[in-house]
Amino acid sequence: MVAIDPTLLTNIFLIGLSGTLVCLAVHFIPVGGAPAAMAQATGIGTGTVELAAGSGLVGLITASYMYAYEPLADIPLVMAAGAMGSMVMLASTMFAGSLIYAYGVAVPFASAQVKKDPITGDRQDLYISKGTQGQGIPTICFVSGVVGAALGGAGGGLIYFVLMDLYKPLLSMTSAFAVAGVFTMGVMYVNSVIPSYGVGGTIEGVHDPKFRRVVGKDVITSFFVSILCGLLAVLIAGGMSV
Amino acid sequence: MVLDLTMSMAVLALLGALATIAGCLEDLESDVGSQSNPNSQVQLAPQMGFLHRIFNKAISGEPISNGMSAVIGGTVTTVLLSQKFYPLTAIVIGAFIGAIILGIFATTSYAGRVASQTRFKQPLYMDIMRYTTPTIIGHNFIMNFCLVAIAYIQFEVLGYPFTIPFLALIWGISVGAIGSSVGDVHYGGEREFQNREFGCGLNTALSGRIVRKAESGLRNSIDNVWFCAKFGGPATGIALGLTVFFSSWPTTLFGYTWTAIGIGVLIVAVLTIMNRLIELNVRHAYGPYKEEKNEKEAKA
Amino acid sequence: MSDIKERSPNELVLFGIIGGLLGIYLTYILPALGMQISGNVGELLNVIAPTFGALGGICAVMWGADAVRRVAKYGLGTGVPSIGQIAMGMGIIAAMFGLAIVQTKILAGPIVALVTASIIGFIIGWFAQNVIKMKIPVMIRCMTEIAASGTIIIIGFSAAVAGNFEFANIVKLVFDNGVMLAVFWVGAVAMLHPFNACLGPDERQKRLLYLAGSTGAITMAIMGIAATMTLGASGVITLVLGIVLWVIFYKKFWDEVYHDAASVVGTGLIPKTEA
Repeated sequence: MVAIDPTLLTNIFLIGLSGTLVCLAVHFIPVGGAPAAMAQATGIGTGTVELAAGSGLVGLITASYMYAYEPLADIPLVMAAGAMGSMVMLASTMFAGSLIYAYGVAVPFASAQVKKDPITGDRQDLYISKGTQGQGIPTICFVSGVVGAALGGAGGGLIYFVLMDLYKPLLSMTSAFAVAGVFTMGVMYVNSVIPSYGVGGTIEGVHDPKFRRVVGKDVITSFFVSILCGLLAVLIAGGMSV
Repeated sequence: MVLDLTMSMAVLALLGALATIAGCLEDLESDVGSQSNPNSQVQLAPQMGFLHRIFNKAISGEPISNGMSAVIGGTVTTVLLSQKFYPLTAIVIGAFIGAIILGIFATTSYAGRVASQTRFKQPLYMDIMRYTTPTIIGHNFIMNFCLVAIAYIQFEVLGYPFTIPFLALIWGISVGAIGSSVGDVHYGGEREFQNREFGCGLNTALSGRIVRKAESGLRNSIDNVWFCAKFGGPATGIALGLTVFFSSWPTTLFGYTWTAIGIGVLIVAVLTIMNRLIELNVRHAYGPYKEEKNEKEAKA
Repeated sequence: MSDIKERSPNELVLFGIIGGLLGIYLTYILPALGMQISGNVGELLNVIAPTFGALGGICAVMWGADAVRRVAKYGLGTGVPSIGQIAMGMGIIAAMFGLAIVQTKILAGPIVALVTASIIGFIIGWFAQNVIKMKIPVMIRCMTEIAASGTIIIIGFSAAVAGNFEFANIVKLVFDNGVMLAVFWVGAVAMLHPFNACLGPDERQKRLLYLAGSTGAITMAIMGIAATMTLGASGVITLVLGIVLWVIFYKKFWDEVYHDAASVVGTGLIPKTEA
């Protein structure tokens, strides 16, 4: 078995932290679920889980490529690479989504949760069409989404980095990539589903009152679950070193 | 870096082009079957008394179903490549098997969902099943082909650490996430409620009251693709193309440095500003729903 | 498996665990027996052994699909698919842990994985119920069941591709070539699809279980294709058996659809309703 030493504890903690980052990310991404796809709610018209995971995984691709081809890459750089990939993915998605809301459905963007956009100061309530919860992606949602994607991608990059360092000495390079990648994906999915249950499928972003209401308990849940995952990850490494 | 700069840029451009096609076709495929979020309206319609002749492809959210067909395509391709198949053949066969399996899942979800709506008297139309499923398979095949090709290029040419099925799965999930965020809005927000005034916003009370008549005869899912191919599909394609292109472009040009990260952030900032410009444009063009702001949503 | 009516959750738990573990362990026991018996019979046992892993996986898919059905009936707020994702997320972590931690005591692997998955599932279910406050009475139990079935699905189908469930072997034959992702994802879809596809007020368990069998068999066929690369002849058997099982379950599913649907028509206009 594995002896308790500071490096391992740090690793467990870092995996716990990265899971929490992914969980936090979900809260920032403005997702309106099925109503948003009908332009009946503010945000992106899809599910929380998939959008968070989708952007996080693009981040994982960029982070893993960075890790593989830059031997000097340290934790911040790999995390930043992940964050960049995720941000680009989510920003392109939201931008193209805005095109559809603007010129395909022809509705002005408006948030139902705040009276004025905290960034641009535009009135929101006048622009909400009848019988809906707002529509489109106003600037505050866009910025919040980008921040969320950055957190998610950074979390994915961090966990991948930690796992690679754990498994690299024990397995061949190909296997280490695969094992670390699959494990990252598992942790990512667990941590993007948990907050989705917390927010009940829809959230507008950081300005949504729901954000303050649920973020605390989701983060606590995610942190504990991710710590457990981290513990298992470290123990797996112990199991490999026969 | 494995290739020189010119070659990397060429490969990157190819990836972007493939991604654009994949994104476009993914969205159209989901519109053929009425998948993902707009599906809730198709599902709800019989309950509101609106029986219809639209396919109900509730496989799951798009990221999951597209991830599935792409990962199957990637796996089969890997198997064939290990048998020394020519790569293009391997990718085509792999993509085809992935698409066929998606088609099988599509038939079960249409039949299953309709059979679970017995009390609303929604009939199961076998002709819809018979000619919509091949359309779904066809669209999905092209998407699979592009995604597995991207995965193949990234793995074999660019030397990404992940294997072909892994990359195909990630791109499948991403294309699904993008397709359901972008293109589906065009289908769900506009096409399903085309009989309402353009730009009136969709009152929640309208849920389930979808359009069931086409330009000629009764509307079916193929009519929906025809409409969405004009805007929703291409916009989705642009989104995935931008994602694939811009997520690698900075590192291709500037190497694996903080400069590249900075360029990436700059791209995101530009996209944010463009979004703001669109927001201003539409607010100016359409104006507020002023006269409606004090009313309740009472109308049923 | 052929006379399923309204099955109680407990029956399906037993079916999933016993069937799943039996299938997984047979991949280990049969080759061991094959060593004892010389000649054609022994070789045959060696060749067909991995197929049993996939059969065990199908049992777990049917169990998992029913667990998804029970919890998703309450409405999760974010769609049925998410539960399949978390199932496989938990399942893969637990499976890797269980198979790796036992080192040389290979036989204990699947059991350890199953227990670990149940613990993770229980913890997540507990948090969902008591911290996130989802107010779904069956949450804890179903989360545990879903995680446990997820891990059996992963180990079962991996064993069908790798030949056994030894971790080093699975890493070499399932992780390195990326087949694990197919196990992970197609397994998740196999589990969440049945309820998602049968969602509606007139959903029935029998139809759902046949559909679960059919999705499980599709997964098995894909694993068969992958196993032709890693194991050769065994893969062909898995593939052919998977297709045969799929045809059987798919046909049964359609029989149920014909029985349950309001009407099945070749074509026609929309029936008149009040709207």
